[in-house]
Amino acid sequence: MKEEDKNMQQSALNTEKSRNMKIIRIERKQTPTPKSLDSDCSNCAVISSDDFSFYYGSRMGVKNITMDIYPCSVTAIIGPSGCGKSTFLRSINRMNDLIPHIRTEGTLKVDGQDIYDNRINLISLRQQIGMVFQKPNPFPKSIFDNVAYGPRLQGIRNSEDLQDVVEQCLRSAAIWDEVKDDLKKSALALSGGQQQRLCIARALATKPRVILMDEPCSALDPLATGKIEDLMEQLKTSYTIIIVTHNMQQAARVSERTAFFCLGELIEYDLTSKIFGNPANKQTEDYITGRFG
Amino acid sequence: MRIFVRTIFDKTFTVTTYLVVLMIIALLVIILGPMLSRGLSAVIFKDTIEFRKMQFALFNRGVESRILQETKETNAFRQKIYQTIDKFKQGIDTEALTEKARKIYREFGQQLRYKELPPEQFTILRTQAKEIRDKLETAFASQDKSEIASCINNVLQYRDDQEFKDTATEGFFKLALEFKNSVEKTDLSKHYLYVKSLQELESLIIELLGPRPDEPLPSTAMNQFGSTRWDIAQRIRDKILWTEQWVEHKPNESLIKIKTLRAEQFAGTDIEPLFGYIKDNIEQILKPRAKFYWQYFIDDSTPGHYFGGVGPEILGTLLLTVISMLFAVPIGIIAAAYLTECSSENLIIKIIRMCINTLAGVPSIVFGLFGLSFFVLFFLPLLGFPSKPCILAASLTLAILTLPVMIRASEEAIRSVPETYKEASLALGAGKFKTFMKVTMPAALPGILTGIILSLSRVAGETAPVLFTGAVALGPMPSSIFHSTRTLSYGSYDMAVGDRIAMMVPHNQYGMVAVLVMLILCLNIMAIVVRSRMFRKLHGH
Repeated sequence: MKEEDKNMQQSALNTEKSRNMKIIRIERKQTPTPKSLDSDCSNCAVISSDDFSFYYGSRMGVKNITMDIYPCSVTAIIGPSGCGKSTFLRSINRMNDLIPHIRTEGTLKVDGQDIYDNRINLISLRQQIGMVFQKPNPFPKSIFDNVAYGPRLQGIRNSEDLQDVVEQCLRSAAIWDEVKDDLKKSALALSGGQQQRLCIARALATKPRVILMDEPCSALDPLATGKIEDLMEQLKTSYTIIIVTHNMQQAARVSERTAFFCLGELIEYDLTSKIFGNPANKQTEDYITGRFG
Repeated sequence: MRIFVRTIFDKTFTVTTYLVVLMIIALLVIILGPMLSRGLSAVIFKDTIEFRKMQFALFNRGVESRILQETKETNAFRQKIYQTIDKFKQGIDTEALTEKARKIYREFGQQLRYKELPPEQFTILRTQAKEIRDKLETAFASQDKSEIASCINNVLQYRDDQEFKDTATEGFFKLALEFKNSVEKTDLSKHYLYVKSLQELESLIIELLGPRPDEPLPSTAMNQFGSTRWDIAQRIRDKILWTEQWVEHKPNESLIKIKTLRAEQFAGTDIEPLFGYIKDNIEQILKPRAKFYWQYFIDDSTPGHYFGGVGPEILGTLLLTVISMLFAVPIGIIAAAYLTECSSENLIIKIIRMCINTLAGVPSIVFGLFGLSFFVLFFLPLLGFPSKPCILAASLTLAILTLPVMIRASEEAIRSVPETYKEASLALGAGKFKTFMKVTMPAALPGILTGIILSLSRVAGETAPVLFTGAVALGPMPSSIFHSTRTLSYGSYDMAVGDRIAMMVPHNQYGMVAVLVMLILCLNIMAIVVRSRMFRKLHGH
């Protein structure tokens, strides 16, 4: 990360801090250097879920999930429809709070801080954990305003700073070359693949540590999917990515670790090579080989 | 075969939709066409010299020298009408003649006192003058031609008397001669009828030409001028030429109107040729000319819509509309935001929504009375303002009237914003308020504008709510929001029910309604343009 970016983040955080001292916030840590895929880095897990259960009213969403997600890698979550993949993903940045009558059990920690603590600051949590949705959902604004939305919320008003952030994010999302000439154009005029990359750029603009991707390629054609996958490859050097996907080839291609969910429970979670090569669980094997159900 | 039937159905469907659209357009033209064309006649019409005089006197428009020149020309033609009537009146209006005779007698008495005559001569002259006066009065009051002739001849005997030379009594002989002349031609038995008909004729002529040039101007501006418009002048000309009577044609059937020549009432008199004269020379008398009176939209009306335009009405309507929107739009949007964003669907929300829907159906007069009792009688005094109808109270009443429409339209607009926009915004770390202001509101704005258009049209045209809270039929241009104002809708309502002016100047009433329709149309077009531009900007094509 560049020096000036860190300064910018620091200043944004300082203003937030002075605004609200009592609220616990997720402190930004120095992004750790990528480590090997060995399991000895368990103490550096970004997200650790311990016996986490999630209920919609009385209906169970996910049950007893215990897993650690490691930094600077791609973690894929696979499983049949309705198995709680998305529920778990959306619990991580508490997007499920929009639904009334929800209930959680167990703990879900980000950087060691339980995010279901009542005193947690949702705004700083969500700035730390960006999200890309299934359908590309850029705002009906210009491309520039879409990307600048997050930084503006963090209090960056200076137009030159905004320009820099927007350019950097669009470059990171590999869409800069396609849109650099008409940043004033409405984002809705872009194609689906471009819109999705714009959404990724928008998520990057808040400088998150973790990016949650909820089936980011399900509405895209193979070409656009390929571009997004390449992008993930680049991004994982500096971000922690969690991706929910129905496409098992995609999970195999892009992820370091894969979790298999079924009926709200975590069946198996291991290195991707192991899951796809030599799964420990019979259910996993059935699902991967297509003999499921 | 089946495919053929389906194609037929599809084509029928298409044709039907086209037909319905055409029908709607035709209906609009049928409804709006006559009204607009009549309304247009308030602006484009043929004016008369009276209109130009009025414009110069009341609005200081026009070239003075030219108007004076035209007045002179028309007066030359009008003079003959006045002379004919005056001459005829001499033989008819006996009361005035009697009064004149008495006046002359009094004058003569005073003249005698200054002459310092011996008392005997004074008494003789006095008695003689009295005799002449009495004879004249007998003649004036008589219905018998021979009696009149003898009386007049009696009077005229004194004409050559040296004592009466160069005194007021000369007036006696003049009166006697004129009366003799006029009596010779008229039928005395019709005397009473003539008086009545002449009065009618004179009032019609004043309506057509205004007051006589040699008479002092009446105090009200309405009576200072004759027919200012050529169409009205033609109508009055017809009224002068013809009399209308409703007669029973057959028993148990509706009455029918019969037109008779007014000249018949004056058959055989000096007045009879006057009707032909008016008919032939009406254009020289009034000098009609095509006029585009664009100042109609800015002129004040003087007095009571009879002359002038609808400037204060337009200003008042715009003020009421804009100020009421200033209250209704923010409150409506905030209420809609509460109903959609900040609350879950519970009993209270259901009750609130039912109340809003009920309010939308409440008759507007109810809102008018509410405005009177709440804003005028309670709210304004509470804030320390005088408790009288004013623009502020009327605007607030209109705002409340239009709130249900505003809330429902905004609610629909906000609800139709995709949930994914809100999710994306929240996921980027925005709070509820920021999300609403930065994402939901801009995306819902075209829909909210639709609500504003609907509210605008409703507010601009409402009469009942402003009836008690701030509208007046006559009054100055509004100078602050604590004054009452005229409005287009209330103006045309008042003209319809208030007085006879609507009958005298129908073009003005239609003009007001047409201006109101055009105003609403313009506001709507403006809002639609803004909305489509906003939509294009949001969606990038």
